[in-house]
Amino acid sequence: MREFIVAPIKFYRKWVSPMFGPKCKYYPSCSSYAVSAIQNYGLKGIAMSVWRLVRCNPWSHGGVDYAVKEKAGVS
Amino acid sequence: MDSILKPLYIAVSWVIVTIHKALSPIFGADSGVSWSLAIVGLVILIRVILIPLFVKQIKSQRALTALQPHMKEIQKKYKDDRQKQSEEMMKLYKEHKTNPLASCFPILAQAPIFFALFTVLNGIGKNPPVKHGVLTQEDVVSAANAKFFGAPISQTFLGTDITTVKVVTVFLIALMSLTTFTTQRQLMLKGMPKMDSSNNMMLQQQKIMLYAFPVIFAISGVNFPIGVLIYWSTTNLWTWGQQFYVIKRNPTPGSPAYEELQRKNAKKTGYSESPTTDVEEPIEDLKGQRKQPKKKKKKNK
Repeated sequence: MREFIVAPIKFYRKWVSPMFGPKCKYYPSCSSYAVSAIQNYGLKGIAMSVWRLVRCNPWSHGGVDYAVKEKAGVS
Repeated sequence: MDSILKPLYIAVSWVIVTIHKALSPIFGADSGVSWSLAIVGLVILIRVILIPLFVKQIKSQRALTALQPHMKEIQKKYKDDRQKQSEEMMKLYKEHKTNPLASCFPILAQAPIFFALFTVLNGIGKNPPVKHGVLTQEDVVSAANAKFFGAPISQTFLGTDITTVKVVTVFLIALMSLTTFTTQRQLMLKGMPKMDSSNNMMLQQQKIMLYAFPVIFAISGVNFPIGVLIYWSTTNLWTWGQQFYVIKRNPTPGSPAYEELQRKNAKKTGYSESPTTDVEEPIEDLKGQRKQPKKKKKKNK
């Protein structure tokens, strides 16, 4: 089920996102964050991803922000 | 869903009707020119509203010039670890409260408007026409008959047998592909900082994507009313123009366009030192002094 939700995001990452070039203020990017959040937390991951998208706005300064904090650096 | 979007239907239709009303005395109320320009006007209004965001982004890109030494240090230090490199870059941006990236807000903000316009125009194209937002019966009938180069603006390629609709759709899809293609190409060739080999794969992928544009536009374009395609083409043209201006006047530090501008400015002021050395030096360093300890680097200089 989780993979099913993640599939369109992965499709976006592979085929759509490269067309626009890097846009995201965070590292990892919102879509990458969403994939790992949903894979690890399921429903809660979706909420986390939405919140991340909201935070990634013209008034934010971005930064480093992993969905799975302990795993940070391993990826 | 409909109730959430209702305010947007009202806003979009109000803008179109208002511009249409203003243009009617000049081009005629039932003229396709008035209705087409009303859609163009909607684009201009939205893009003008978004200009402050754009300026903000340019300003933070300009602030990067001051961070260049830091950025080069990071690139050198983590040249074999792309992840660490990106992480440190982001930290640097955050520390200095500047971020050259736009976030996806400008795109996301336009998506609902695009969708609202799609619904409003689709409603006009129905038989009998469906009114959305502030459109009156009179408006709907007039708009339904409005033509853009002979093609009714409410018709879609797949939803009609009218030849002019098909021809105009193909023309607009070609225009959209062309503007997006040139915008992207210009950015790749001139607007982005010079890349080292690790980025080549990304560049390659972008090249493939460039050729996928016409296909994507064609697939979605045949389902959209002419009016939506007008909106889309105009907004693409705007993006292209905006980028053209920035690359000429305010290029990203480290990009070919930036060097070009520096060279031009150097000529004007009679500054004799080659302006490119500043950018090319670290690249040579990367190649020539791979894996040498830091201290030695300093000695060599």
